Amino acid sequence: MFYVSMFFQYLSQYLKTRLQYRADLFVEFFSDLLSQAINLVFILVVFGHTNLLHGWNRDEIIFIYGFFLVPYAVFSAFFNIWDFNERYIVKGELDRILTRPIHSLFQIILERLELESLFGAITGLAVMFYAGSRLGIELHWYDPFLFIVFVIGGALVYGGVFIMLACISFWADARTSLMPMMYNISNYGRYPVNIYNKIIRFVLTWILPFAFVGVYPAAFFLGKNEWYWYSFITPVIGILFFVFSVLLWNQGVKKYRGAGN
Amino acid sequence: MNNAIEVQKLRKEFKAYSSRSGLTGAFRDLFTRNYQIATAVNDISFTVKKGEMVGYIGENGAGKSTTIKMLTGILTPTSGQISVNGMNPHKEREKFVQTIGVVFGQRSQLWWDIAVQESFRLLKKVYKVSDQQYDDHMNHVIRTLDIEPLLDKPVRKLSLGQRMRCELAAALIHNPPLLFLDEPTIGLDVLVKLKIREFLKEINEKYNTTILLTTHDLTDIEALCERVIMLDEGNVIYDGALKNLKETLGEGKELQFQFLEKVDLAAVKHVTDGMPVKWELDERDLIFTANIEDSDELISRVITAVAAVFKIKDMKINETSTEEIIRNIYEKGAVDVG
Repeated sequence: MFYVSMFFQYLSQYLKTRLQYRADLFVEFFSDLLSQAINLVFILVVFGHTNLLHGWNRDEIIFIYGFFLVPYAVFSAFFNIWDFNERYIVKGELDRILTRPIHSLFQIILERLELESLFGAITGLAVMFYAGSRLGIELHWYDPFLFIVFVIGGALVYGGVFIMLACISFWADARTSLMPMMYNISNYGRYPVNIYNKIIRFVLTWILPFAFVGVYPAAFFLGKNEWYWYSFITPVIGILFFVFSVLLWNQGVKKYRGAGN
Repeated sequence: MNNAIEVQKLRKEFKAYSSRSGLTGAFRDLFTRNYQIATAVNDISFTVKKGEMVGYIGENGAGKSTTIKMLTGILTPTSGQISVNGMNPHKEREKFVQTIGVVFGQRSQLWWDIAVQESFRLLKKVYKVSDQQYDDHMNHVIRTLDIEPLLDKPVRKLSLGQRMRCELAAALIHNPPLLFLDEPTIGLDVLVKLKIREFLKEINEKYNTTILLTTHDLTDIEALCERVIMLDEGNVIYDGALKNLKETLGEGKELQFQFLEKVDLAAVKHVTDGMPVKWELDERDLIFTANIEDSDELISRVITAVAAVFKIKDMKINETSTEEIIRNIYEKGAVDVG
């Protein structure tokens, strides 16, 4: 309960900060909308040239891409920790975090909220509706609920992997350049995994399970029976990875060396 | 439980990688890294009673900050026992930090872009302080620190002195029984320093707040702390009253003379022949300084002798300053105080 109320407290703090800079807010709002619109056009143009890919047709691939954008937007809004090493370890900001009575990771998530990323979800939904209507997908009463569960699962997978990456900074001194690489790898989850060879597929399913952010859960809505099993373990994988990353974090914090004054 | 802090055989080691020189060295570093274990804090033990104000001093790199970070639960000790407010800081961190306040002079607790009172409001929620407790306590704090007019300004627009006062208030929102101050007066002007000192004294008296203070400004320590713990290279080299330190190690006094007429050093020396006096001359300002033992009789004899021969323009009797004492200690490396 305390953590829920803290979430809203920090949220209101975040909004106040944003409202401080009115002009900035408007500019950012429009640039976000614009960039999402460009993104949308880009997706349609790029996928306009694909037809059939290992049993997936063009609209199905667009649908998966659209689905992927939603958990990705949630992830970017809440797990904005790609610069954890520079900001918190090198500059020693973690000192301040650790002197407050809230779990350290939770505090960092709260401090680094970036809700404008949620605009990406709108693009994602638009893409899904566009592709879905062309495919003639029917909407069942339970679909929205499963959609939410899958989105949360996918966002947790993403969050888990990136928290684990951030944890490396607790043990290693040097800056790691793994983050950008991981962003690249995560993009592979946007496409049907059976187009890749076995090893890559295995990695994307069990090691860096980005397939659970895009193709697996999306397959459910596309009515691909053979993938249902994967679709339904999406939240399980999400929770497992996230819990593991938090445990790793807790160990890492004990290794924190602090920055010199 | 009368002790706010109990520390036994506390030790913190860091692994420091040292890189070899040159390109070949860099390649070798890829495979086998050289590292040395540096001991930042070396088996120190001390206790601080509730309500005490203790100055924790030492040169840069002596291990002050490392100790404070272990006491506040930020760093995990390599070995040894810590009990602060009856708890183990890094084991029960979230419960423990409710009972302490921390001010790091070089780091801000406050949110940069929003008004000070918004930061206070959020911290109040973070520490689960009720409205009534907040009003009772913080109204007083805000008045004493004189930050009322600053409350609706964003932190980025405050001057350093204004910000520091707000930081201090922010650290006290939950009225902690123990306060850690890591260089709270760094870079502040005299007036702000005085205000902060007065305020610290006041909360210490009013709430019996225990305060552990590190600073490079010894006047802070003189104004606030009866007890000092002195650290050098990770070891405690002195732990006791500041007064004892001064009495035992304040080696003698200084007499400074300025004369109306031009006088040379040899002549002055000649006057006090036979007395245990060491003369120095500051050529630029023509100040003659006599270093002598702290004995009332000797001081009068020197003054009489000098005044009888020369016309005096100005004269001062100085005690050896704490700063000088401490410099002496570091030069010698250790202290023997009874």
